Amino acid sequence: MAHQAHAYHMVDPSPWPLTGAIAALLMTSGLAIWFHFHSTTLMSLGLALLLLTMYQWWRDIVREGTFQGHHTPPVQKGLRYGMILFITSEVFFFLGFFWAFYHASLAPTPELGGCWPPAGITTLDPFEVPLLNTAVLLASGVTVTWAHHSIMEGERKQAVQSLALTILLGFYFTFLQALEYYEAPFTIADGVYGSTFFVATGFHGLHVIIGSTFLAICLLRQIQYHFTSEHHFGFEAAAWYWHFVDVVWLFLYISIYWWGS
Amino acid sequence: MAALGRLSQALLRTSLPQSRRQLSAAAAAGGHGGEQSAKTWKILTFVVALPGVAVCMLNMFLKEQSHTHEQPEFVPYSHLRIRSKRFPWGDGTKTLFHNSHVNALPDGYEGHDE
Repeated sequence: MAHQAHAYHMVDPSPWPLTGAIAALLMTSGLAIWFHFHSTTLMSLGLALLLLTMYQWWRDIVREGTFQGHHTPPVQKGLRYGMILFITSEVFFFLGFFWAFYHASLAPTPELGGCWPPAGITTLDPFEVPLLNTAVLLASGVTVTWAHHSIMEGERKQAVQSLALTILLGFYFTFLQALEYYEAPFTIADGVYGSTFFVATGFHGLHVIIGSTFLAICLLRQIQYHFTSEHHFGFEAAAWYWHFVDVVWLFLYISIYWWGS
Repeated sequence: MAALGRLSQALLRTSLPQSRRQLSAAAAAGGHGGEQSAKTWKILTFVVALPGVAVCMLNMFLKEQSHTHEQPEFVPYSHLRIRSKRFPWGDGTKTLFHNSHVNALPDGYEGHDE
């Protein structure tokens, strides 16, 4: 039987990168088809393929790391770099939308009435639901840290409780935001105010949902004894992502909800 | 910001086994590492974080009571209620989270005469 003379992971051939790329193609072209020809078939197919790809690719990573032992310290270091680089790219993604917001709001055009908020826009009170949302996300940052320390100290029950609490807070945020979206007196079609507001907060909300899902997977894995007190990088990656989502919200809150009102 | 501090703290935990040894040695700092940290964050959760959320919920409840739920006045501004292209759902005139009580269409609120 052959053994490797190094600590790295030479990954077995996998179809998931290809199916992921095909899914991206189908979703994007499907979106265009939906807009112009009113058929959702292609887009739905792409979405289904995306979900299957994500499930199977990440399932394989869990198998390789947790069950087959391929995630040695150097491999884990590479995964850490990878997650940090990915989150950095997401920071730049949001930076673009903040740029758009400040471009529009620092020098409002005559078409808007030369003021910010533009004429006719009734903004949301930053000290009502947005403040509650801020408290909810900050609290979830505390609970996810409790979860991390619990995992490191081998406190199984506390880890499950704190992780579940974090996810519940995430769901509560999403629920409150959905309510806000429905109750808002302005829409995405209300000029540059509506565009910047809903695109920035909308992508943030999507990231909250993604982060909550990642944490939920970690909860299932914690229950099934995947994590050890020394090795639980999947959880750490989820916690980093969650803190990132929290920080983006803080910037959104200060810029769009508070300063922009 | 507290969250930024937590983010940098989380990132610093990258060399986990090393830092655990160092933190155990400095355990006298009480709550900053070693065996007590989970307890510290559990206390923070139930004494600071969740009560903070509860206070904001109470604030919401009180503010809701003093709200009038009046419809904002409709002024047919040309820079609002943009409809360059129909939406690909329904009759194409309503946004995704349309609420007919507070969202007017380009001609005004639905079912109302000005």
